[in-house]
Amino acid sequence: MIGQPTGEKQILEVLQEAQRSLNEDGKLLAKVYNEPSIFDLEVKKIFSKTWVFLAHESEIPWSGDYVLRRIVDDSFIVTRDEDGEIHALFNMCRHRGMQLCRSDAGNSSHFRCPYHGYTYQNTGKLNGVPFQKEAYGPEGLDKDEWAMTTAPRMEIYEGMIFASLNPEVQPLEEYIGDMGWYLDFYLKKSPAGMEVIGPPQRWVMPADWKLAAENFIGDGYHTQSTHMSTIKAGIMRVKSPAYLKEGVQILAGMHGCLFMGFKPGSYLNYPQSIVDSMLENLDSDQVELLKEESIMPLNATVFPNTSFLHSSMSIEEGGKSVPYVTLRVWQPMGPGKIEIWSWCLVEKDASDEFKKASNRSYLSTFGASGTLEQDDAENWSGQTRVAGGEMSGQHYLNYSAGATHVEPIPDGEWAGPGTAYPKNYVDFAQRHFWQTYFDHLLAGEENGHAGS
Amino acid sequence: MLETSVETYWEAYSFLMHEAELLDEHHEREWLDLFTDDAQYLMPVRVNREKAEGDGFSDESFYFQETRGSLELRVRRLETEYAWAEDPPSRTRHFVSNIRVAEGEEEDELAVKSNLLLYRSRGSDPHYDILSAERRDILRKEDGRWKLRRREILLDHSVLTTHNLSVFL
Repeated sequence: MIGQPTGEKQILEVLQEAQRSLNEDGKLLAKVYNEPSIFDLEVKKIFSKTWVFLAHESEIPWSGDYVLRRIVDDSFIVTRDEDGEIHALFNMCRHRGMQLCRSDAGNSSHFRCPYHGYTYQNTGKLNGVPFQKEAYGPEGLDKDEWAMTTAPRMEIYEGMIFASLNPEVQPLEEYIGDMGWYLDFYLKKSPAGMEVIGPPQRWVMPADWKLAAENFIGDGYHTQSTHMSTIKAGIMRVKSPAYLKEGVQILAGMHGCLFMGFKPGSYLNYPQSIVDSMLENLDSDQVELLKEESIMPLNATVFPNTSFLHSSMSIEEGGKSVPYVTLRVWQPMGPGKIEIWSWCLVEKDASDEFKKASNRSYLSTFGASGTLEQDDAENWSGQTRVAGGEMSGQHYLNYSAGATHVEPIPDGEWAGPGTAYPKNYVDFAQRHFWQTYFDHLLAGEENGHAGS
Repeated sequence: MLETSVETYWEAYSFLMHEAELLDEHHEREWLDLFTDDAQYLMPVRVNREKAEGDGFSDESFYFQETRGSLELRVRRLETEYAWAEDPPSRTRHFVSNIRVAEGEEEDELAVKSNLLLYRSRGSDPHYDILSAERRDILRKEDGRWKLRRREILLDHSVLTTHNLSVFL
């Protein structure tokens, strides 16, 4: 219980104090990493309020295709109907609440409830009710009234299907806002757009969702320690363990990312066709960063739990680095526990040979067996474990990197939106993540600092 | 009814027992020596699908899609002093059973199926992980020694129940 180490304080007071401490002193109360009573609040005030990523359009390319996805404990069938329209249908029969669809992917024009046999189209419309007249009289049921419930909101950003449990949530485009300029480096390197390579890897980890999300928003500092083994083994082909020291950390809306450098002209070893299309398809300011500064976003988090990683790694002994993009969801399964969903994204018009190589580079280094992500898992689960005790209620963590000596890049000297810091071993993006987090948890609470 | 001679069955059986011992005793370098130069080591993603759609194994998504060269990098990483995920190491036990041996498609090759139950325990956490799979192996005799030319690990999981795959199956 969170009340104990801090006397009689209630959870909100603890959060308010944690927020104050972060904002004023750059210190984060370790308790927020893993605390059951805070998790309940996260579900209500974050996952029920924001946009959450469900699926990529390319996972359901054909009419009738569907995948099953969740927002915390709520299951949605993401379908493509006969007209090509996409729907996010709450996976619960309107009759007795049975889970309608029990397969994680497939192709079907209808979903039939096993319990009493109510049948719905993949648009959500109620289509058939067994023995309808016997059960509901000669008029039958009003099939419009008894259609499946849809996610309150569903919108698509560059092929990425998001949903929200909050009917009042701002439009997705606005929600992503300035971050869109940075996501272009992942999603718009070709006019053809991106596609996933196969179904996602999924695995369960005893780690809190926030630890993965804050790592991906901008932690360049951990690479020289956590990922040292891959440098020593020749997987990450860099000259120095401090390869990520120089770069740019970005705060954009509620989101953020981290830029890494690459060898000028190498473009992470993308094939020439993708280099040509990225220089053509991105805007002139983005191209200038690629051409003149030789930097590109490495990792990014869209609040709350969607992250991206762009990297280039060696697959074979002595082999050349091959670039890839991975997209993931840190899906909460409870306090201190996540299911990770991890996809490899690639340009639709890339060659099959490159798609295969890119996917191998990704799964060798990230994903469940990834030689880098294996060690991230060790950290996130270790942090979660020790934060689960009582001492974390009086244990403060250092989030001050950069605070005394790193200033934002002045307006006019950085082409992108948001706030840019000219270093990577800094905590600005991570602090921004936690500030956004506290703003959500304390929104609408008396004496809260919401929106501050 | 054996599909091969008792001697051949015994050789395949001994190979798998020896291999499991190498893995459980963390002799990854010696384990790597069991693979042919053109080896493939695959573990496809499995999706929960309706019965009529088949077994749900993807031919595009994998947890492992390795060659001898990429396994070499994985082993080399474990040999550094910075492979935090395996230091302190996992305590594993590879239970290999239901071994079925048949002649392979090529001369000097065997097609060997086995069941695998992998027990994994880490730290002083009382919780442990179990992974269950069928392994479909192709063994090839090179210079009088059986080697692993191909392994396909067919999981009984649609969601992995371990926090990472820093161990081999």
